[in-house]
Amino acid sequence: MSDTDSPNARAEIIARRLGYSENFSALPWEDLLAIAAFCHEETVQTGAAVLVEGKPADRLYVVERGKLALEKRVQLGRHSTPRNATIDYVGPGRSAGFSTLVRPFVYSTSAIAVEPTRILVIDGQKLRQFLEDRPAAGLKVMQTLAALIGGRYRQAIDTLTYFLSIVSHELRSPLAAIENYLQVMLAGYAGEVTPKQERMIKRSILRVTDLRSQIGDVVDVARMRPEQIQADFCWFDLGEVGTQAIEDVRLAAAEKEVRIKVEPPPAFEPMVGAPRRLRQVFTNMLSNAIRYSPPGSTVTFRAWYDPDAVYLRVSDQGPGIPSDDLPHIFKDFYRAGNTGDVTGMGLGLSIAKKIVDAHHGEIAVENLMDDAGNTGTQFTVVIPRNLNTPEMERRKWQAETEGGATQNEQ
Amino acid sequence: MSETPYILIVDDDPDILENIITVLETQPFRLATARDGRRCMDLIEEEVPDLLILDLLMPRMDGWGVIRALRSEPRFAQLPIMILTTVIEDASRRRYELETGMAMDVQAYVQKPVKPDELIQRVYGLLAVEKNV
Repeated sequence: MSDTDSPNARAEIIARRLGYSENFSALPWEDLLAIAAFCHEETVQTGAAVLVEGKPADRLYVVERGKLALEKRVQLGRHSTPRNATIDYVGPGRSAGFSTLVRPFVYSTSAIAVEPTRILVIDGQKLRQFLEDRPAAGLKVMQTLAALIGGRYRQAIDTLTYFLSIVSHELRSPLAAIENYLQVMLAGYAGEVTPKQERMIKRSILRVTDLRSQIGDVVDVARMRPEQIQADFCWFDLGEVGTQAIEDVRLAAAEKEVRIKVEPPPAFEPMVGAPRRLRQVFTNMLSNAIRYSPPGSTVTFRAWYDPDAVYLRVSDQGPGIPSDDLPHIFKDFYRAGNTGDVTGMGLGLSIAKKIVDAHHGEIAVENLMDDAGNTGTQFTVVIPRNLNTPEMERRKWQAETEGGATQNEQ
Repeated sequence: MSETPYILIVDDDPDILENIITVLETQPFRLATARDGRRCMDLIEEEVPDLLILDLLMPRMDGWGVIRALRSEPRFAQLPIMILTTVIEDASRRRYELETGMAMDVQAYVQKPVKPDELIQRVYGLLAVEKNV
């Protein structure tokens, strides 16, 4: 029996390989040897699934040679076919199956070998037990793990945002060209337009505009981190923003013969917030209301103040939202069951909620029903009146720290 | 400024160029086009236009590069620029400031698609400002 075949020699080889890997490199030799006792090596062929999303996470893998693709199942809406999206590749020294160490111990991605790959397989239960028994080693491994997961998360978000902004531009450019041709034709620059052609061109513009704003929505979902919205906080005129939002939906309302009734407060007061984002919220609420309104009905847009906050409410005379759907309508890609032929991807309201949340406000939805059986839906947004611009935050922070310093001196 | 205003339109999308030309050729303007930033700079070297209509995302040299090149050259510093793009204005200004450390010095920022009448109005607005200066 040669040296490399003895159990001790093999454990040493494995321990050395563990020492090269990203999440065990901080451990001392005796810990590596102890972990090596419940490791073994395997070779997986191209296309083989090493671990599967949603399945119990009982093995942690370290790649020695070759490459694994981390894949996540993506399903848009409730009825489309799920697809796998590759979110990262795991090469030599890196690991897959972190979920083995984190409750609820269920894999959050799948890992597929993209070439013949040599992996170290670590028994998850034994590893968890080992780390519990040796808190010093446990702490080191978990600290490394937290940094790795944090890094992977940030990288995933950055990649997604970058990818979406490219996709969005690639999709918006041809749409802009189409819309441009339609506008030029509609204005008569390409010859006289018959009334029927005019109607068709107008419809086409409406559909193209819709599509363009939906593409914008997809990108926005990725960009809507609170700190990104709060960076745009400034003093602005709410009345002006409301008027712009009404302007955004005027064509759609006219098309459907829906009347927009506006009930502003006696006077608008200057406030702090992200005006371009709030315009998006109001435009979303209004176009949503118009979309579900029966022809000839009225959508009401009201605004009023109390000492602490400003309230904005959009109500329609549509069929209302099924009560099963009410708790979910602010989720990404969620569409209520009774939306029928109404187009859209179900992103508008989740975007609106993200924007309102970044303003420390609230958004609520209610179904209406009066004694006569008239239905409707009302969305209410509450925005606090004590928000600060980044400059105000900076000054406040400065005053606080300087105040603290003087107190200490006394 | 010569009798007939000379306008240079730069966009990598031939359909957008055709649209702008169709609209602007109804007016007493002299028009020229370029499909990328390098060609745009060559044409400006030959004759300085009275107005530059400029897209941002283009091959070879992009619109931000064109603005930077023009604004760092005294001969072209006064040339009015109208940005016509699908890129959102604040994102675009932030990018320019990050890259150059300067504010983006353009006279108009229009997001595509622009309605024909608005385009004509804006072009006359920019030409008039230049004449007064």
